[in-house]
Amino acid sequence: MISIVGFTNLLLSFLIGLIIFFSYFFNNKNTISRTYYNLVFFKFFFIIVSFLTLIYAYIVSDFSNQNVFENSHSDKPILYKISGAWGNHEGSMLLWLLIMSSYTLFFTLNKNLTDNIKKLTITFQTSLFLLFAVFVILTSNPFLINSINFEEGMGLNPILQDPALAVHPPILYVGYVGFSLILSLALAGLTFKQIDYEWMNTAKKLTLFCWSMLTAGIALGSYWAYYELGWGGWWFWDPVENVSLMPWIAGLALVHSLMITKKEKILIRWIVFLSILCFSLSIFGTFLVRSGILTSVHSFATDSARGIFILIIFLVSTGFSFILFIFKTDDSEEKLKLLFINKSTALIFNNIVMIIACLTILLGTIYPIVIEVITNKRISVGAPYFNSTALPILLPGFLLMSIAPALSWQNNKLPKYKSYIFVFIALSLLSFIIVYLNAFNVWGFIGIALGLIIIFSSLLSVYFNCIKFGLRNFINHNNALLAHIGVGILVLGITTSSVYKSEFSVTFMINEKKQINHYSYTLLKLETNQNSNFQELVAVFSLYKDNKKIAEIKPSKRYYNVSKMITTEAGIYHSWFQDFYIIIGNEKDQIWSVKIYQNPLVSLIWIGVIIMVLSGLLGIRRA
Amino acid sequence: MIFIPYLTENFLKYFLFLLICFFIFLLSGSANAYSEKDLKKITSKLRCMTCQNQSIHDSDADFSKDIKKIIVQKLENGHTEKEIIKFLVKRYGEYIVFEPQMNIKNYFLWFFPFVILAISLIFLIFRIKKN
Repeated sequence: MISIVGFTNLLLSFLIGLIIFFSYFFNNKNTISRTYYNLVFFKFFFIIVSFLTLIYAYIVSDFSNQNVFENSHSDKPILYKISGAWGNHEGSMLLWLLIMSSYTLFFTLNKNLTDNIKKLTITFQTSLFLLFAVFVILTSNPFLINSINFEEGMGLNPILQDPALAVHPPILYVGYVGFSLILSLALAGLTFKQIDYEWMNTAKKLTLFCWSMLTAGIALGSYWAYYELGWGGWWFWDPVENVSLMPWIAGLALVHSLMITKKEKILIRWIVFLSILCFSLSIFGTFLVRSGILTSVHSFATDSARGIFILIIFLVSTGFSFILFIFKTDDSEEKLKLLFINKSTALIFNNIVMIIACLTILLGTIYPIVIEVITNKRISVGAPYFNSTALPILLPGFLLMSIAPALSWQNNKLPKYKSYIFVFIALSLLSFIIVYLNAFNVWGFIGIALGLIIIFSSLLSVYFNCIKFGLRNFINHNNALLAHIGVGILVLGITTSSVYKSEFSVTFMINEKKQINHYSYTLLKLETNQNSNFQELVAVFSLYKDNKKIAEIKPSKRYYNVSKMITTEAGIYHSWFQDFYIIIGNEKDQIWSVKIYQNPLVSLIWIGVIIMVLSGLLGIRRA
Repeated sequence: MIFIPYLTENFLKYFLFLLICFFIFLLSGSANAYSEKDLKKITSKLRCMTCQNQSIHDSDADFSKDIKKIIVQKLENGHTEKEIIKFLVKRYGEYIVFEPQMNIKNYFLWFFPFVILAISLIFLIFRIKKN
């Protein structure tokens, strides 16, 4: 019953979408009437009712709904009943539609743009909504009704039953889907050749918001991978990770390009191109993931009809956008002031580097598919490829990042350049010494030096800014620098935790004490817990340094009754300088095999990301 | 682990180790010693073909255990890392190595990014000079 309500609302929302779309062609007035806004509101209203209905069906475990039956179970905790609604293909696509509509509604509140741009943007946005709505209704309907009565559902995949992963999809989608509004805005601006200051301002705010959300979503996913997948790492260069990284990098390039235009009206063509690229990459990623072409951790139930459908959406929207782009671009843009080393050159250079890195990741992700189609042989393109192509390509960009915000727009001079050179040399030497004392490694040296240089030269610029402007409007003057400090911290964390990670495979008996890498570990006891939907075996370890107890670490294994799956949960103790990370393996004759990782400075990764996201969000206010 | 390209690991040390191995091999003519480190290094580069996105090193699947045994055996017989990987690729196909092999069908994959980078930089320098 409840499913019918949900489906009806979905259809209503679709119908209103159609009305909004066609009204553009029948109503030639360039102003927007109240009714138009009301339509946008009701499109949003019906889709949110539809989505809430689905959540309600999950909460009350209505197994007459096929989607609920396939992805839920009555003994799940309430949080995972709710998150189960978007933990599957159909539900997540409905969430996609909801977010798309929310953006449209949110966009109607904009007061700075002229009505003709607003109206066309809403029309483009609605046509994208319609494409995806048809997709949901025809191939991915979450409101199908079971023909047989079921007493109990099949349960949610246990590894998805986790707080970080419960919020990961919505946050990620707010990023991905937000790019659709930027695309629509770019197309509207192109059509009217009206890409002016207000347009830039709106685009800048939007891009900053979407990009920050995408960053947060990706980071949540990697944090989850870190403690749930149990191999001590947090990034695998898995195809689905790459797919999220591509629009992220394109979005980052867009953020930076929009920053250039603060003072001059330049680079418009490039900005429009990037706006189109961001959402195109998002849809293309969706296609790769949902079509089942990729084998990945994120495998959804796959169906070739869906793949073909998304491919069509991708071709239609991207094709249309790029054709419009080619025919409508304004040729009258100002020439760039490119000097040997000024801000524009630095930004152009960083854009080039980012887009090529993005292209490389795209190439590495689809190359195995192409090769398999052509030669019928399977190849892997894994971490070593990306580490020796995308990373070296990005390196000069990272180096440039340390001084770019301090460069001038107009001339070749870096104010107080001597102090930056001093920072560069001193920190390079310092990192060389640090790395030399801890087993020399080239990447270790490069990463640590880069991280430190980025952090300290940004701090230096902050200091100069404070002298120049005082502490008033601190955020306004220094936000970009703060974001860069976040990146520096992230680079440090990535480098130390990947290059200097140590890993030990050991065995423990109960009450056995072992000395491992300057610390001792004791397996105190094993406990079993009974939870509503799983049984848990917890191993309690004590961690000692010089016979002083520092912490208790509790790795565990869970057995999920419904899906009959065992998951491993890492036990992690985050200290200031390193993470102690334990995974318990199998038992044989009371002897437990255990993996212990010591990951130095891994917390810096999360701290760096938090700084980046916060300064991204703060930037919206300023923009 | 994920951010260490194979290029940068200490080749000299590794070479020295091989040299020592070789001498031991010459002197004893019997089983060679191998280090855990080498085993880890090789197995991290290989995909566990029955798992999803796990290296043989990180996985406890039966497939990985078998491959580990084969590698240990080969190391004890004095085979080099290159030989071992070549053997496994021949037996299981290129899918088993995370790093795409440098061969004719992968040249595009390996060189395209750098070629396009070079072209764009030349273009950029040209533009800057013009100003």
